[in-house]
Amino acid sequence: MNILGISAHYHDSAAAIVIDGMPACAVQEERLSRRKNDAGFPVNAIAWCLEHTKLEPADLDAVVFYERSMLKFERILTCALRAFPRSWRSFPHAIKNTLGEKAWARGIISSHLDVPRDRILFTDHHASHAAAAFLTAPTSHAAILTADGVGEWATLTCGEGERCADGTTDITIRREIRFPHSLGMLYSTFTAYLGFKVNEDEYKVMGLAAYGRPTLMEQLRKVVRRLPDGSFALVPEYFEFQTTAERSYSAKFVGLFGPPRQRYDPIDLDSADGQRFADCAASVQCMLEDILVDIAARLHRETGLADLCFGGGVALNGVANARVLAESGFERLFVPPAPGDAGCALGAALYADRIYFRNPDREIPDHPFWGPAVDARALTRAAREDGQAVQEVDEAPLIERVADDLAAGRIVGWMEGACEFGPRALGHRSLLAAPHSGEMRDRLNRDIKHREEFRPFAPVVPAEWADRFFELPPGGARLARYMSGVFPVRQEWRPRLAAVTHVDGTARVQVLERQMAPRLHALLEAYGRRTGVPVLLNTSFNVAGEPIVTHALEGYLTFRRCGIDVLVAGPTIVTKSAAAAPTLKESGAWSSSSAAASTVA
Amino acid sequence: MPAVTRGAPLDRVMRPIHEWVWADNDRRVRKLLTFADVETDGGRDILRAAEMTPDPLLRRLYLEHAIDELHHGDLFRERGAALFRARQRARRVMLSGNPLPGGHGLDDLRIDGQPDRTLLAFLHVAEKAAARRFALYRELVDDDPQTRVIFEEILRDEVFHMNYTYKQLTRIAPGDYRRHVWHARARRLWNRYLRVAAAFTAVFGGVALTVMYFVLLPPFAWLAKRSQRREQSGWMPLPRARQDASQRSQY
Repeated sequence: MNILGISAHYHDSAAAIVIDGMPACAVQEERLSRRKNDAGFPVNAIAWCLEHTKLEPADLDAVVFYERSMLKFERILTCALRAFPRSWRSFPHAIKNTLGEKAWARGIISSHLDVPRDRILFTDHHASHAAAAFLTAPTSHAAILTADGVGEWATLTCGEGERCADGTTDITIRREIRFPHSLGMLYSTFTAYLGFKVNEDEYKVMGLAAYGRPTLMEQLRKVVRRLPDGSFALVPEYFEFQTTAERSYSAKFVGLFGPPRQRYDPIDLDSADGQRFADCAASVQCMLEDILVDIAARLHRETGLADLCFGGGVALNGVANARVLAESGFERLFVPPAPGDAGCALGAALYADRIYFRNPDREIPDHPFWGPAVDARALTRAAREDGQAVQEVDEAPLIERVADDLAAGRIVGWMEGACEFGPRALGHRSLLAAPHSGEMRDRLNRDIKHREEFRPFAPVVPAEWADRFFELPPGGARLARYMSGVFPVRQEWRPRLAAVTHVDGTARVQVLERQMAPRLHALLEAYGRRTGVPVLLNTSFNVAGEPIVTHALEGYLTFRRCGIDVLVAGPTIVTKSAAAAPTLKESGAWSSSSAAASTVA
Repeated sequence: MPAVTRGAPLDRVMRPIHEWVWADNDRRVRKLLTFADVETDGGRDILRAAEMTPDPLLRRLYLEHAIDELHHGDLFRERGAALFRARQRARRVMLSGNPLPGGHGLDDLRIDGQPDRTLLAFLHVAEKAAARRFALYRELVDDDPQTRVIFEEILRDEVFHMNYTYKQLTRIAPGDYRRHVWHARARRLWNRYLRVAAAFTAVFGGVALTVMYFVLLPPFAWLAKRSQRREQSGWMPLPRARQDASQRSQY
């Protein structure tokens, strides 16, 4: 049975194909369209998935959309009506936006793929999150928690999943918290208040939180009411996201927390305003953690289960995940590599397969590499055409050579195999560097990533060495498999891991098992033999504002235009020469027909 | 091909409007920050062209072009941000929305699937128009030497972009490069018409929906508010019907 899952229209659209119960491929649209957080209908992702699996649309038994679009429209319309007459500005925009395209998912899918309408299915948004979290996790019976901004009406759900002895699967959502009461929207409101981009920069708030103290909890308790049943409610007077698309917080909110930060104002942590912003971030982070821990702990008491599967965009908050693992009572916490809306494409397809069609459960490979593979020959060809220093090297000497480069302080662009599904670079599309000094962090920020100085870089460490360098609680290594948890760096190693240790002494570490990425594992060991520390700084292979690279040429052009020293794809190594060659503009070669002819030849 | 030293005829006719825009600090900041986004998006589009082209020389030229555009984005952003920080008035409205989405202002560029000759002709026409516009802007910011320097630097690059795209177009389409340039001009004009038409219908649709909002919605709004008052916060059990909802339904 061939099932295509699609998520689209809000942020981070994606497609995935499940064949006979097993994921065959999954990719975010942004990785192919090269538009960051591309929310359009994922035509490129669908086309690639079909090509990769050699399927035609007619071969699909079902196409599953990740949410019920008309139910979502009902919520948008209802909220506009409830906010009458304050919603008069946003109403035309919301109606045009929704009725213009988003509400007609069935028609759009049918026209793009030319599949019969009765093969198009829909899941609840949070059921897609739940399926993505539970059905990809190596557990047979687990509690399920999902939390994000909003789906149709639900913003947070609790339930349970079970792989039964007869091979069938059950996912039961027991209860939900409904819009506008939303942890995701609360966090996004502070993201906007702190001058960052909503739905994109939430992790900056998490990074900034480490510089502040939760001194604004008293104010925050006026904004978020905790209810006796363990849930919460946002006090509507402080928010505007439910009534307008222009601003998510109200004048009363500003009265409570002070003037918001403007996007172009720098965050100076030595100033009173800068510290206030950091304290705001710390306070909302603390509130988020407290609520999640409380909800998870109640869920644990209620179910008595050892495992928790956590999905939805809020599950990208590694600091909160670590606290949930430590304090909720669950022994293991599973967060999928793509817990956000992109992951819903895979979740929706799996949900249809297991729950709707009642197909027998199958164990899913425990890795995130479901995207397009890198073609090293394309890199070799392009680099040779441009006169770059290219070598093709056997596996063992390549690992030793790259380890030498890293130990010498060079920054390596590392491309291997299929790209990751989800927002994290987990070893197949990574920038690798020595993790020892603050200078390396500054260099990466200055020459490549152009990020705010308060944002940390992440380390990757082989599983067998993780405990030596990081304080991992029971279950911590599992949570760190997909960089989903933030844990303390051991005190004695902090000076030697300065580039990856955040100001509060923590790191969002990736614990790497050999089977998941054997080549990167070998590189870590080779690096460890040289330096005594088998840890590398691992950050996503992209420049600020761009999606992570997918194909060899994207990696190559990123390498050419920023401060990456060495580029590796398969057996190919490209090294940047120390002396910068004159540009075509400077040399005038662009206008010379002989230069053109020779280069083309 | 000569360097661009003055604005296009239409821009010179419209000069009083441009003067009015650049005379005010708020509008200047908004313009610069909009340019920053436009140039950055344009740089990414051209980077995509570099990834797609099979021609090695074009790949190198597109890459240099993209680096220039991304650099221009940074220059505009830094200058706009500096002027923005220097101002005192309320800021919120000023930064809401970008009136010129797309990497090349009014032109919505689609890279994937475009042959190089079409893309080069498009880039040539767009860069020429930008160079002429920036030549005019350079004159209008005489009172602001730092912004003027930025326009001068960018203008030099735009002239290079304009020239290399033309030269390469003559290389890869020696027989019909003029036709491609005229086709690009016509397409640009058509895109402008579409934009204006879309803006007009958006206004018309907005007015119609607003009228509908105030005329038709009040009774439904009353009902919606009444039902909201009965709604409880906190956990809501999922009704059985909801759990059993058909996967065939969008509701």
